[in-house]
Amino acid sequence: MIKFEGVHKWFGKLHVLNDINLHVTSGEVVVICGPSGSGKSTLIRCVNRLEKFQKGKLWVDDVPLHDHGVNLTQLRAEISFVFQQFHLYPHMTALQNVILAPVNVRKMNKAEAADLGRETLTRVDMADKFDSYPAQLSGGQQQRVAIARGLAMSPKIMLFDEPTSALDPEMIGEVLDVMVQLADEGMTMCVVTHEMGFARQVAHRVIFMDEGELVETGQPDSFFDNPQTERAAQFISKILTH
Amino acid sequence: MLENFNFRIIWEYMPFFLEGLRNTFLISIVSLVLALLVGISACACRLSQWRLLRGAATIYIESIRSTPLLVQIYFFYFGLPTLGLRIPEIQTGILALMLNSGAYIAEIVRAGIVSVSAGQIEAGIASGLNYFQRMRFIILPQALGVTVPPLLGQAIVLFKDSALLSMIAVAELTRSGQVLSSERFMPSEAFLTVAFFYLCIYFFLKSLADWSQKKLIFREAY
Repeated sequence: MIKFEGVHKWFGKLHVLNDINLHVTSGEVVVICGPSGSGKSTLIRCVNRLEKFQKGKLWVDDVPLHDHGVNLTQLRAEISFVFQQFHLYPHMTALQNVILAPVNVRKMNKAEAADLGRETLTRVDMADKFDSYPAQLSGGQQQRVAIARGLAMSPKIMLFDEPTSALDPEMIGEVLDVMVQLADEGMTMCVVTHEMGFARQVAHRVIFMDEGELVETGQPDSFFDNPQTERAAQFISKILTH
Repeated sequence: MLENFNFRIIWEYMPFFLEGLRNTFLISIVSLVLALLVGISACACRLSQWRLLRGAATIYIESIRSTPLLVQIYFFYFGLPTLGLRIPEIQTGILALMLNSGAYIAEIVRAGIVSVSAGQIEAGIASGLNYFQRMRFIILPQALGVTVPPLLGQAIVLFKDSALLSMIAVAELTRSGQVLSSERFMPSEAFLTVAFFYLCIYFFLKSLADWSQKKLIFREAY
């Protein structure tokens, strides 16, 4: 589904992605963790080409992103992205947020899209908030609407960039519950997160990144309990002590 | 002091004032509508990918903003005829106000568009919306919310600036005050009345601006 082959990226002189090789298969849930500035967000932002890379090859759903002339709009319609800061459209209701892309990208008719939108919002347990504006919702509710916005496109892949990092602690659970449910339904997911509980419960693989390199990859339990590299061990001890 | 104040003369000249007021109104409204068109076009050019358009818009906006309106009015009124372009006072006045306000409006609209956060645009890109769809559904509606109040502020400025057209003998509100002042030598009656009318216009536009502020500004999503 997603295949990185020797991908490099530089921001000026900073080497943010250093020789990334990674293969994510269909239906797989991959958790990416690592210290801040290690390149995790950049890695998943390459998958829907929110970031360009300078060297290497990357196939997403068999589309070669390293080639020129790729139809990015079409590709992005198949990949949903959930942001740390939600980025809901503040001038639209929850339902309008969810159906904007289905109507305008998928060319669905409005009534059909509204049905789909209500159904999708119900799936993320937001059935009573169709007509609320983002400013009227809590952080956790906003993030669930953002997930519904992604889901409504029936994506082949969902990317999550620290989806719970901007949330108050008591709201993290409700967002993770939705993500666990998606994982159980077989969605292909790449999740940048430090939520170890989530990783242990649903991830097929945990990837540890540091300084732009893919340092270690393993099963969640063995990775967290028995890391193979010094750097991963240090990182895990840091997130565990707090 | 007030015993010398002659209300009768104000009443006597009232039709004259009202005609001035009407002209001020018409000139300002026409200039404002044209300035909006000029401003939005100049803003589009300034944000364009083509360097030529961007350069032209920048030169226009900066040269207007860096020179006094009175100088611009004098240039159009006295300068253009010597270059062989002869247009009546009122049209000259409208041209000057239009070009002047247009430059400020271009900057107001640009500020509105730029104020839409990068995250909003990324969210649009990530969900597969193309450039025009992002503009229409995400950027412009939000830009409008922050743009309307300062635009109404600019409309107030334009109304007051139209007083400068009295310098080129356009028969607007301030000009009627000048006429009363010089015919009967009653400057305090003349200009207090003129000021009163400007005050009325100001309060009307201000209440519109306050109302739009409440109506149109959206709180950020987080």
